[in-house]
Amino acid sequence: MVQSEMGEIEDKNGKSDAEMNMYLSSAVEAGALLLMYGAEVSRVEDTIMRLCVAHGFSGAEVFTITSSIVVTASCSDGRKLTQTKRIRMHVNDFGRVEKINALSRKLCAGDIDPKVFRRAIVRVRNSRGAPPLLNMCMYMIISASLSVFFGGTWADGAAAAISGIVLFAMVRMSEILRMNSMIQAMVCSAVTALAVLILVRIGIGSQPDKIMIGNIMLVIPGIQLTSSLRDMINGDTVSGLLSMSDAVLKAVCVALGFALVIIALGG
Amino acid sequence: MNMEHYIIQTVMGLIGSVAFAVLFGIYDRKLIWIAFGGGAGWAVYLVCTSGGHSRFVGLFISALCIAAFSEILSRVIKAPVIMLLVPMLIPEIPGGDLYYTMYYLVQGNYTEFGNYANQVLAEAGAIALGIILASYAAKLIFSVHAHAKQYVELRERKNEEECYKE
Repeated sequence: MVQSEMGEIEDKNGKSDAEMNMYLSSAVEAGALLLMYGAEVSRVEDTIMRLCVAHGFSGAEVFTITSSIVVTASCSDGRKLTQTKRIRMHVNDFGRVEKINALSRKLCAGDIDPKVFRRAIVRVRNSRGAPPLLNMCMYMIISASLSVFFGGTWADGAAAAISGIVLFAMVRMSEILRMNSMIQAMVCSAVTALAVLILVRIGIGSQPDKIMIGNIMLVIPGIQLTSSLRDMINGDTVSGLLSMSDAVLKAVCVALGFALVIIALGG
Repeated sequence: MNMEHYIIQTVMGLIGSVAFAVLFGIYDRKLIWIAFGGGAGWAVYLVCTSGGHSRFVGLFISALCIAAFSEILSRVIKAPVIMLLVPMLIPEIPGGDLYYTMYYLVQGNYTEFGNYANQVLAEAGAIALGIILASYAAKLIFSVHAHAKQYVELRERKNEEECYKE
Protein backbone atom coordinates (compact mmCIF):
# COMPACT_ATOMS: atom_id res chain seq x y z
CA MET A 1 0.00 0.00 0.00
CA VAL A 2 2.65 2.50 1.13
CA GLN A 3 5.03 1.33 -1.56
CA SER A 4 2.58 1.98 -4.39
CA GLU A 5 1.72 5.42 -3.03
CA MET A 6 5.39 6.33 -2.89
CA GLY A 7 5.84 5.13 -6.44
CA GLU A 8 2.97 7.27 -7.65
CA ILE A 9 4.31 10.40 -5.96
CA GLU A 10 7.73 9.89 -7.54
CA ASP A 11 6.09 9.44 -10.90
CA LYS A 12 4.21 12.75 -10.56
CA ASN A 13 7.40 14.46 -9.37
CA GLY A 14 8.89 14.12 -12.79
CA LYS A 15 6.17 16.21 -14.42
CA SER A 16 6.93 19.68 -15.71
CA ASP A 17 5.48 22.94 -14.48
CA ALA A 18 3.43 23.28 -17.65
CA GLU A 19 1.74 19.95 -17.10
CA MET A 20 1.03 20.59 -13.43
CA ASN A 21 -0.35 24.01 -14.37
CA MET A 22 -2.71 22.34 -16.80
CA TYR A 23 -3.91 19.94 -14.11
CA LEU A 24 -4.44 22.83 -11.71
CA SER A 25 -6.34 24.82 -14.32
CA SER A 26 -8.74 21.95 -14.98
CA ALA A 27 -9.42 21.66 -11.24
CA VAL A 28 -10.02 25.42 -11.02
CA GLU A 29 -12.23 25.34 -14.11
CA ALA A 30 -14.38 22.62 -12.57
CA GLY A 31 -14.71 24.66 -9.38
CA ALA A 32 -15.55 27.80 -11.34
CA LEU A 33 -18.33 26.01 -13.22
CA LEU A 34 -19.74 24.67 -9.95
CA LEU A 35 -19.76 28.17 -8.47
CA MET A 36 -21.24 29.70 -11.61
CA TYR A 37 -24.09 27.20 -11.76
CA GLY A 38 -25.17 27.61 -8.15
CA ALA A 39 -23.20 25.29 -5.84
CA GLU A 40 -22.37 26.48 -2.30
CA VAL A 41 -19.00 28.10 -1.60
CA SER A 42 -17.97 25.46 0.94
CA ARG A 43 -18.72 22.67 -1.54
CA VAL A 44 -16.68 24.40 -4.26
CA GLU A 45 -13.67 24.69 -1.95
CA ASP A 46 -13.98 21.06 -0.92
CA THR A 47 -14.26 19.87 -4.54
CA ILE A 48 -11.21 21.86 -5.72
CA MET A 49 -9.18 20.49 -2.80
CA ARG A 50 -10.11 16.90 -3.65
CA LEU A 51 -9.50 17.43 -7.37
CA CYS A 52 -6.02 18.83 -6.69
CA VAL A 53 -5.11 15.80 -4.60
CA ALA A 54 -6.53 13.48 -7.28
CA HIS A 55 -4.41 15.24 -9.93
CA GLY A 56 -1.25 14.43 -7.98
CA PHE A 57 -0.64 17.56 -5.89
CA SER A 58 0.38 16.99 -2.29
CA GLY A 59 -2.00 19.66 -1.00
CA ALA A 60 -3.91 22.80 -1.89
CA GLU A 61 -5.05 26.02 -0.24
CA VAL A 62 -8.34 27.22 -1.68
CA PHE A 63 -10.02 30.54 -1.02
CA THR A 64 -13.39 31.11 -2.65
CA ILE A 65 -15.86 33.96 -2.53
CA THR A 66 -18.89 34.29 -4.80
CA SER A 67 -16.98 36.25 -7.43
CA SER A 68 -13.51 34.69 -7.38
CA ILE A 69 -11.46 31.57 -6.70
CA VAL A 70 -7.79 31.55 -5.59
CA VAL A 71 -5.94 28.25 -5.41
CA THR A 72 -2.34 27.60 -4.42
CA ALA A 73 -1.41 23.96 -4.90
CA SER A 74 1.87 22.48 -3.72
CA CYS A 75 3.68 19.65 -5.47
CA SER A 76 5.42 17.01 -3.40
CA ASP A 77 8.88 18.35 -4.42
CA GLY A 78 8.11 21.76 -2.92
CA ARG A 79 7.02 23.70 -6.01
CA LYS A 80 3.97 25.88 -5.55
CA LEU A 81 1.56 26.90 -8.28
CA THR A 82 -1.15 29.58 -7.96
CA GLN A 83 -4.14 30.31 -10.16
CA THR A 84 -6.97 32.81 -9.84
CA LYS A 85 -10.35 32.70 -11.53
CA ARG A 86 -12.82 35.56 -11.66
CA ILE A 87 -16.50 34.63 -11.87
CA ARG A 88 -18.86 37.20 -13.33
CA MET A 89 -21.97 35.22 -14.19
CA HIS A 90 -24.28 33.35 -11.86
CA VAL A 91 -27.04 31.12 -13.21
CA ASN A 92 -28.81 28.35 -11.37
CA ASP A 93 -28.39 25.18 -13.41
CA PHE A 94 -28.27 22.18 -11.12
CA GLY A 95 -28.18 19.70 -14.02
CA ARG A 96 -24.65 20.90 -14.81
CA VAL A 97 -23.68 20.97 -11.12
CA GLU A 98 -24.67 17.33 -10.90
CA LYS A 99 -22.68 16.41 -14.03
CA ILE A 100 -19.51 18.11 -12.74
CA ASN A 101 -20.02 16.53 -9.34
CA ALA A 102 -20.28 13.07 -10.90
CA LEU A 103 -17.18 13.70 -13.04
CA SER A 104 -15.06 14.80 -10.11
CA ARG A 105 -16.27 11.87 -8.06
CA LYS A 106 -15.18 9.55 -10.88
CA LEU A 107 -11.79 11.25 -11.14
CA CYS A 108 -11.17 10.97 -7.40
CA ALA A 109 -12.08 7.28 -7.49
CA GLY A 110 -9.60 6.82 -10.36
CA ASP A 111 -12.20 5.71 -12.93
CA ILE A 112 -11.21 8.33 -15.53
CA ASP A 113 -7.85 9.98 -16.19
CA PRO A 114 -7.20 13.75 -16.07
CA LYS A 115 -7.26 14.22 -19.84
CA VAL A 116 -10.72 12.68 -20.16
CA PHE A 117 -11.84 14.77 -17.18
CA ARG A 118 -10.58 17.97 -18.81
CA ARG A 119 -12.40 17.23 -22.05
CA ALA A 120 -15.62 16.34 -20.23
CA ILE A 121 -15.51 19.60 -18.24
CA VAL A 122 -15.19 21.61 -21.45
CA ARG A 123 -18.12 19.68 -22.89
CA VAL A 124 -20.29 20.49 -19.87
CA ARG A 125 -19.33 24.16 -20.14
CA ASN A 126 -20.21 24.34 -23.82
CA SER A 127 -23.40 22.27 -23.69
CA ARG A 128 -26.62 23.99 -24.69
CA GLY A 129 -29.13 25.07 -22.10
CA ALA A 130 -32.83 24.28 -22.03
CA PRO A 131 -34.97 25.23 -25.06
CA PRO A 132 -36.53 28.71 -24.65
CA LEU A 133 -40.06 27.41 -25.20
CA LEU A 134 -39.78 25.06 -22.21
CA ASN A 135 -38.48 27.90 -20.05
CA MET A 136 -41.34 30.10 -21.18
CA CYS A 137 -43.85 27.44 -20.16
CA MET A 138 -42.14 27.20 -16.78
CA TYR A 139 -42.35 30.99 -16.35
CA MET A 140 -46.09 30.76 -17.04
CA ILE A 141 -46.63 27.85 -14.65
CA ILE A 142 -44.57 29.44 -11.87
CA SER A 143 -46.33 32.80 -12.20
CA ALA A 144 -49.80 31.26 -12.24
CA SER A 145 -49.25 28.77 -9.40
CA LEU A 146 -47.49 31.18 -7.08
CA SER A 147 -50.01 33.95 -7.59
CA VAL A 148 -52.77 31.52 -6.55
CA PHE A 149 -50.48 30.33 -3.74
CA PHE A 150 -50.25 33.85 -2.32
CA GLY A 151 -54.02 34.26 -2.31
CA GLY A 152 -55.05 35.16 -5.85
CA THR A 153 -58.15 33.81 -7.55
CA TRP A 154 -58.04 31.53 -10.61
CA ALA A 155 -58.55 34.54 -12.91
CA ASP A 156 -55.56 36.20 -11.26
CA GLY A 157 -53.56 33.05 -11.97
CA ALA A 158 -54.48 33.22 -15.65
CA ALA A 159 -53.48 36.87 -15.79
CA ALA A 160 -50.17 36.01 -14.07
CA ALA A 161 -49.49 33.35 -16.70
CA ILE A 162 -49.95 35.92 -19.47
CA SER A 163 -47.74 38.50 -17.77
CA GLY A 164 -45.25 35.67 -17.19
CA ILE A 165 -44.81 35.50 -20.97
CA VAL A 166 -44.06 39.24 -21.03
CA LEU A 167 -41.55 38.80 -18.22
CA PHE A 168 -39.86 35.90 -20.00
CA ALA A 169 -39.59 37.91 -23.22
CA MET A 170 -38.02 40.82 -21.30
CA VAL A 171 -35.55 38.60 -19.43
CA ARG A 172 -34.57 36.87 -22.66
CA MET A 173 -34.12 40.17 -24.48
CA SER A 174 -31.97 41.70 -21.77
CA GLU A 175 -29.83 38.54 -21.70
CA ILE A 176 -29.24 38.86 -25.44
CA LEU A 177 -28.43 42.57 -25.07
CA ARG A 178 -26.11 41.75 -22.11
CA MET A 179 -27.67 44.35 -19.85
CA ASN A 180 -26.30 45.11 -16.40
CA SER A 181 -28.14 42.87 -13.95
CA MET A 182 -29.53 45.77 -11.85
CA ILE A 183 -30.87 47.60 -14.90
CA GLN A 184 -32.23 44.30 -16.16
CA ALA A 185 -34.16 43.71 -12.93
CA MET A 186 -35.62 47.22 -13.07
CA VAL A 187 -36.64 47.18 -16.73
CA CYS A 188 -38.09 43.66 -16.58
CA SER A 189 -40.20 44.42 -13.54
CA ALA A 190 -41.41 47.77 -14.92
CA VAL A 191 -42.60 46.24 -18.19
CA THR A 192 -44.23 43.33 -16.35
CA ALA A 193 -46.07 45.71 -14.00
CA LEU A 194 -47.31 47.62 -17.03
CA ALA A 195 -48.57 44.38 -18.58
CA VAL A 196 -50.35 43.42 -15.34
CA LEU A 197 -52.08 46.81 -15.07
CA ILE A 198 -53.21 46.61 -18.69
CA LEU A 199 -54.55 43.08 -18.12
CA VAL A 200 -56.53 44.24 -15.08
CA ARG A 201 -57.97 47.19 -17.06
CA ILE A 202 -59.04 44.80 -19.83
CA GLY A 203 -60.73 42.66 -17.22
CA ILE A 204 -58.51 39.60 -16.80
CA GLY A 205 -57.81 39.23 -13.08
CA SER A 206 -58.88 41.65 -10.36
CA GLN A 207 -56.06 42.04 -7.77
CA PRO A 208 -52.94 43.49 -9.43
CA ASP A 209 -50.75 42.94 -6.35
CA LYS A 210 -51.56 39.22 -6.16
CA ILE A 211 -50.90 38.82 -9.88
CA MET A 212 -47.57 40.60 -9.55
CA ILE A 213 -46.41 38.46 -6.63
CA GLY A 214 -46.40 35.44 -8.94
CA ASN A 215 -44.15 37.29 -11.37
CA ILE A 216 -42.03 38.80 -8.62
CA MET A 217 -40.96 35.38 -7.34
CA LEU A 218 -39.17 34.87 -10.67
CA VAL A 219 -37.11 38.06 -10.54
CA ILE A 220 -36.70 38.81 -6.84
CA PRO A 221 -33.58 37.17 -5.35
CA GLY A 222 -35.33 35.38 -2.47
CA ILE A 223 -33.31 32.20 -2.95
CA GLN A 224 -30.12 34.26 -3.01
CA LEU A 225 -31.04 36.05 0.22
CA THR A 226 -31.75 32.77 1.99
CA SER A 227 -28.59 31.08 0.75
CA SER A 228 -26.48 34.11 1.66
CA LEU A 229 -27.71 33.83 5.25
CA ARG A 230 -26.94 30.11 5.09
CA ASP A 231 -23.37 30.86 3.93
CA MET A 232 -22.94 33.32 6.78
CA ILE A 233 -24.12 30.87 9.42
CA ASN A 234 -21.91 28.25 7.80
CA GLY A 235 -18.81 30.41 8.37
CA ASP A 236 -18.32 31.87 4.86
CA THR A 237 -19.01 35.39 6.08
CA VAL A 238 -17.42 37.27 3.18
CA SER A 239 -19.32 35.33 0.50
CA GLY A 240 -22.52 35.65 2.48
CA LEU A 241 -22.18 39.42 2.82
CA LEU A 242 -21.33 39.83 -0.86
CA SER A 243 -24.29 37.88 -2.15
CA MET A 244 -26.60 39.41 0.46
CA SER A 245 -25.77 42.97 -0.56
CA ASP A 246 -26.19 41.91 -4.19
CA ALA A 247 -29.59 40.40 -3.38
CA VAL A 248 -30.77 43.50 -1.49
CA LEU A 249 -29.67 45.83 -4.30
CA LYS A 250 -31.41 43.70 -6.88
CA ALA A 251 -34.57 43.60 -4.74
CA VAL A 252 -34.53 47.42 -4.55
CA CYS A 253 -34.26 47.55 -8.34
CA VAL A 254 -37.16 45.12 -8.78
CA ALA A 255 -39.32 47.10 -6.35
CA LEU A 256 -38.33 50.36 -8.03
CA GLY A 257 -39.40 49.00 -11.42
CA PHE A 258 -42.78 47.81 -10.13
CA ALA A 259 -43.37 50.83 -7.92
CA LEU A 260 -42.60 53.41 -10.60
CA VAL A 261 -45.26 52.00 -12.88
CA ILE A 262 -47.81 51.53 -10.09
CA ILE A 263 -47.33 55.07 -8.76
CA ALA A 264 -47.34 56.55 -12.27
CA LEU A 265 -50.52 54.78 -13.35
CA GLY A 266 -52.18 54.59 -9.93
CA GLY A 267 -52.89 50.83 -10.00
CA MET B 1 -58.87 29.92 6.31
CA ASN B 2 -60.57 26.65 5.56
CA MET B 3 -59.28 23.23 4.60
CA GLU B 4 -59.94 23.70 0.91
CA HIS B 5 -57.74 26.79 0.84
CA TYR B 6 -54.90 24.89 2.53
CA ILE B 7 -55.08 22.08 -0.01
CA ILE B 8 -55.10 24.46 -2.97
CA GLN B 9 -52.15 26.35 -1.49
CA THR B 10 -50.15 23.16 -0.94
CA VAL B 11 -50.81 21.92 -4.47
CA MET B 12 -49.86 25.29 -5.93
CA GLY B 13 -46.65 25.35 -3.90
CA LEU B 14 -45.87 21.87 -5.18
CA ILE B 15 -46.38 22.92 -8.81
CA GLY B 16 -44.21 25.98 -8.23
CA SER B 17 -41.39 23.81 -6.81
CA VAL B 18 -41.46 21.45 -9.76
CA ALA B 19 -41.55 24.28 -12.31
CA PHE B 20 -38.59 25.99 -10.62
CA ALA B 21 -36.74 22.67 -10.65
CA VAL B 22 -37.25 22.40 -14.42
CA LEU B 23 -36.06 25.99 -14.80
CA PHE B 24 -32.92 25.01 -12.84
CA GLY B 25 -32.08 22.24 -15.30
CA ILE B 26 -33.49 19.15 -13.58
CA TYR B 27 -35.40 16.93 -15.99
CA ASP B 28 -35.32 13.36 -14.68
CA ARG B 29 -37.00 11.30 -11.97
CA LYS B 30 -35.81 13.69 -9.24
CA LEU B 31 -38.80 15.89 -10.11
CA ILE B 32 -41.08 13.39 -8.36
CA TRP B 33 -39.02 13.64 -5.16
CA ILE B 34 -38.95 17.42 -5.45
CA ALA B 35 -42.73 17.52 -5.88
CA PHE B 36 -43.14 15.38 -2.78
CA GLY B 37 -40.68 17.42 -0.72
CA GLY B 38 -42.08 20.78 -1.83
CA GLY B 39 -45.67 19.81 -1.01
CA ALA B 40 -44.82 18.07 2.25
CA GLY B 41 -42.67 21.00 3.40
CA TRP B 42 -45.53 23.45 2.98
CA ALA B 43 -47.92 21.00 4.68
CA VAL B 44 -45.56 20.91 7.67
CA TYR B 45 -45.59 24.72 7.79
CA LEU B 46 -49.41 24.78 7.68
CA VAL B 47 -49.68 22.19 10.44
CA CYS B 48 -47.26 24.17 12.63
CA THR B 49 -48.95 27.52 12.13
CA SER B 50 -52.47 26.18 12.57
CA GLY B 51 -51.21 24.46 15.74
CA GLY B 52 -50.66 27.93 17.21
CA HIS B 53 -46.95 28.46 16.53
CA SER B 54 -45.61 31.67 14.99
CA ARG B 55 -44.70 31.71 11.32
CA PHE B 56 -40.98 31.78 12.15
CA VAL B 57 -41.25 28.54 14.10
CA GLY B 58 -43.28 27.09 11.21
CA LEU B 59 -40.68 28.12 8.63
CA PHE B 60 -37.85 26.86 10.81
CA ILE B 61 -39.45 23.45 11.34
CA SER B 62 -40.46 23.02 7.71
CA ALA B 63 -36.99 24.06 6.51
CA LEU B 64 -35.49 21.59 8.99
CA CYS B 65 -37.73 18.78 7.68
CA ILE B 66 -37.04 19.62 4.02
CA ALA B 67 -33.29 19.86 4.61
CA ALA B 68 -33.21 16.56 6.52
CA PHE B 69 -35.25 14.89 3.77
CA SER B 70 -32.95 16.20 1.03
CA GLU B 71 -29.80 15.24 2.97
CA ILE B 72 -31.03 11.66 3.26
CA LEU B 73 -32.34 11.57 -0.31
CA SER B 74 -29.11 12.98 -1.76
CA ARG B 75 -27.17 10.10 -0.23
CA VAL B 76 -29.67 7.53 -1.46
CA ILE B 77 -29.92 8.71 -5.07
CA LYS B 78 -26.37 10.16 -5.19
CA ALA B 79 -27.12 13.75 -6.17
CA PRO B 80 -25.81 17.05 -4.77
CA VAL B 81 -27.91 18.23 -1.81
CA ILE B 82 -28.38 21.72 -3.20
CA MET B 83 -30.20 20.57 -6.33
CA LEU B 84 -32.88 18.92 -4.20
CA LEU B 85 -32.98 21.49 -1.43
CA VAL B 86 -33.41 24.74 -3.35
CA PRO B 87 -36.45 23.72 -5.47
CA MET B 88 -38.13 22.10 -2.46
CA LEU B 89 -37.79 25.31 -0.45
CA ILE B 90 -39.53 27.49 -3.07
CA PRO B 91 -42.88 27.79 -1.21
CA GLU B 92 -41.08 28.96 1.95
CA ILE B 93 -38.89 31.58 0.22
CA PRO B 94 -40.00 35.04 1.46
CA GLY B 95 -40.05 36.62 -2.00
CA GLY B 96 -43.32 38.46 -1.51
CA ASP B 97 -42.25 40.01 1.79
CA LEU B 98 -38.90 40.97 0.30
CA TYR B 99 -40.80 42.78 -2.43
CA TYR B 100 -43.05 44.64 0.07
CA THR B 101 -39.95 45.66 2.10
CA MET B 102 -38.38 47.28 -0.93
CA TYR B 103 -41.71 48.65 -2.16
CA TYR B 104 -42.24 50.58 1.08
CA LEU B 105 -38.63 51.77 0.96
CA VAL B 106 -39.19 53.14 -2.54
CA GLN B 107 -42.47 54.76 -1.47
CA GLY B 108 -40.84 56.35 1.56
CA ASN B 109 -43.08 54.63 4.13
CA TYR B 110 -40.35 53.92 6.68
CA THR B 111 -42.52 52.40 9.43
CA GLU B 112 -43.83 49.66 7.15
CA PHE B 113 -40.37 49.29 5.65
CA GLY B 114 -38.90 48.59 9.09
CA ASN B 115 -41.60 46.06 9.94
CA TYR B 116 -41.22 44.18 6.69
CA ALA B 117 -37.39 44.31 6.76
CA ASN B 118 -37.36 42.73 10.22
CA GLN B 119 -39.85 40.13 9.11
CA VAL B 120 -37.93 39.17 5.94
CA LEU B 121 -34.62 38.85 7.78
CA ALA B 122 -36.21 36.75 10.53
CA GLU B 123 -37.93 34.50 7.96
CA ALA B 124 -34.84 34.01 5.82
CA GLY B 125 -32.79 33.50 8.99
CA ALA B 126 -35.21 30.86 10.29
CA ILE B 127 -35.00 28.97 7.00
CA ALA B 128 -31.20 29.25 6.87
CA LEU B 129 -30.91 28.03 10.46
CA GLY B 130 -33.10 25.01 9.69
CA ILE B 131 -30.94 24.12 6.67
CA ILE B 132 -27.68 24.48 8.62
CA LEU B 133 -28.90 22.43 11.59
CA ALA B 134 -30.03 19.58 9.35
CA SER B 135 -26.84 19.58 7.31
CA TYR B 136 -24.62 19.54 10.43
CA ALA B 137 -26.72 16.79 12.00
CA ALA B 138 -26.24 14.75 8.82
CA LYS B 139 -22.49 15.41 8.83
CA LEU B 140 -22.25 14.46 12.50
CA ILE B 141 -24.18 11.22 12.04
CA PHE B 142 -22.09 10.18 9.05
CA SER B 143 -18.78 11.03 10.71
CA VAL B 144 -19.78 9.12 13.86
CA HIS B 145 -20.70 6.21 11.59
CA ALA B 146 -17.32 6.40 9.80
CA HIS B 147 -15.42 6.54 13.10
CA ALA B 148 -17.35 3.59 14.47
CA LYS B 149 -16.56 1.61 11.34
CA GLN B 150 -12.87 2.48 11.64
CA TYR B 151 -12.84 1.48 15.27
CA VAL B 152 -14.46 -1.88 14.54
CA GLU B 153 -11.97 -2.60 11.77
CA LEU B 154 -9.05 -1.66 14.00
CA ARG B 155 -10.29 -3.96 16.69
CA GLU B 156 -10.76 -6.87 14.29
CA ARG B 157 -7.24 -6.41 13.01
CA LYS B 158 -5.89 -6.40 16.57
CA ASN B 159 -7.79 -9.59 17.36
CA GLU B 160 -6.37 -11.23 14.24
CA GLU B 161 -2.86 -10.22 15.21
CA GLU B 162 -3.33 -11.62 18.69
CA CYS B 163 -4.60 -14.88 17.26
CA TYR B 164 -1.58 -14.99 15.01
CA LYS B 165 0.77 -14.44 17.96
CA GLU B 166 -0.79 -17.21 19.94
